[in-house]
Amino acid sequence: MDSAYLLNLAFNGAVIGLITALAALSITLVFGIARFPNAATGDVATAGAFAGLLGPVLGSGALPIILVGMATSAAVSLLFYVVLFRALAKRSPVASLIASIGMAFFLRAVLTYFIGHDQRVYPLPLVRAVPFGPLRVQAADIQVIVWAGAALAVTFALIHLTPIGKRMRAVADNPDLARSSGINANKVMVVMWVVAGLLAGLAGTLLGVKTVVSPEMGWDLLMPAFAATILGTIGNPLGAVLGGLLIGLAQELSTPLVGFTYKIGVGFLVLLLTLLIRPQGLFAKNSLVR
Amino acid sequence: MLSYLLAVTVIALIYSLMTLGLNLQYGFTGLINFGVVGFFAIGAYTSALLVVAGWPILLALPCAVAASALVSWPVALLSLRLRIEYFAIVMLGFAETIRLVVTSEGWLTGGVQGVTGIPSLAAALGLSMESTLLTALVALGAVIGVVWLSRRLVASPFGRIIRAIRDDEDAVQALGKAPGRFKVAVFVLGSASAGLAGALYAHYITYISPDQFMSLLTFYIWVAMILGGVGRVGGAVLGTAVLIGLMEGSRFLRDILPGVAEVEMASIRLGVIGLALMVLMRFRPEGLLGKGRGA
Repeated sequence: MDSAYLLNLAFNGAVIGLITALAALSITLVFGIARFPNAATGDVATAGAFAGLLGPVLGSGALPIILVGMATSAAVSLLFYVVLFRALAKRSPVASLIASIGMAFFLRAVLTYFIGHDQRVYPLPLVRAVPFGPLRVQAADIQVIVWAGAALAVTFALIHLTPIGKRMRAVADNPDLARSSGINANKVMVVMWVVAGLLAGLAGTLLGVKTVVSPEMGWDLLMPAFAATILGTIGNPLGAVLGGLLIGLAQELSTPLVGFTYKIGVGFLVLLLTLLIRPQGLFAKNSLVR
Repeated sequence: MLSYLLAVTVIALIYSLMTLGLNLQYGFTGLINFGVVGFFAIGAYTSALLVVAGWPILLALPCAVAASALVSWPVALLSLRLRIEYFAIVMLGFAETIRLVVTSEGWLTGGVQGVTGIPSLAAALGLSMESTLLTALVALGAVIGVVWLSRRLVASPFGRIIRAIRDDEDAVQALGKAPGRFKVAVFVLGSASAGLAGALYAHYITYISPDQFMSLLTFYIWVAMILGGVGRVGGAVLGTAVLIGLMEGSRFLRDILPGVAEVEMASIRLGVIGLALMVLMRFRPEGLLGKGRGA
């Protein structure tokens, strides 16, 4: 175990962590505003990743793949809000949570029925890894860093610098007060579900760019993403990003210790420890509120 | 045909044990257990490995139940500390982690290959009886036992308290009853029932591997419980029978619809469970025959 190996693991962990962070950001928006943990986030990401396979029809490179994936996930997300979660908003969060598990299964069933269980790869040119000192950086890693960074910045700006973002934060803080102040909750919800879908779609396509596209990819992303959400405090976008990075690093750096299969378990372990030691997360205040 | 019906009945009875347990946990006490399949797996592996290692089955079955109960105890303590949505997610992760463990620890569990050559109940007991029939009778006995126990429990003062915990935990606390002890007791009981189901399943199928313990199975049981009615003891058995009837009936569908491969059928089952969860939550959260307050 030399330092170069560890450095490469850490870098890889940070890249995977950014993808986890995108999924966590999607979860944290829904959790903060619609008030339930959306278990379908992973499978919405998977749907986007599979839709991305159609991207090359529109043009070459990663851009069309990612855009098609994001658009598809956003459409799926909005559709399920309109037909399912809007009606469930009056009930306890548990009803929405159970329904979101149903949505996850349903999406995966549709995908596997029509496309099968095979792994696929995006038709992207193979580029030789660039050495940065001891680091070996793949083209896919650069894609992930640029796209994830941009998406995080845009999401952040949306929440903190726009009027609709202000309304979102108001609904997250106190839905009744927001409603009585004349905020149109439905409009806020529509924007929130679209953004949550876009983020999930980006997470799915970037995971496909970095690894492979498979029906289980999103479900396996779910536990680390939940862990990142809670670690970073629910409703805190910056927290979700830091949480995602921490989980990604923990997963990759633990590989030499626990082996490859337990990597997913590491996310679960972090989730458990966070809930037991500091259930309010690292940042303790729902910053969608601030 | 008759043997096929008997086989479906055995599976329905075995799954009923899980549904009965979940109904105690969620239907009567409001504990959201998204990790049923984890306790099912613990029971299955415990009994299978012990009997394959040469233990008598009459000792292995209680050990399987005890193993599930023991593991569920610290997990139940978690439920006292966490918000219900968090606990639900943790249970989901718990079941996935159990699957990781049985996949990775090949020295013990056979890893991806699983455990083969598990003796059937008849073989393990040295009886010359038809094995499926014997399993059916034992499973039926177990179901009747758990139903009787659940009914007694629900009708007792204990039952009044757990229903009160489900409906208004703060009030229970105000009356000077500590809800925690009751929650833990119910969670352990329900998990023990799932462990027994797992043990019977292992000796019925005679082969177990990690991919038989996917989270989908947990939500099979959730759908069965909601179909039968949340918080109705008899409903759990009825709901399971209806669901297994539908799901296994789909095998006949393949005779009518040739050209649907088993892989596609698996997707259809996954889709049906998903759709059922969404539709039930949207329109009948308390279940088709439910008395309890639905979600």
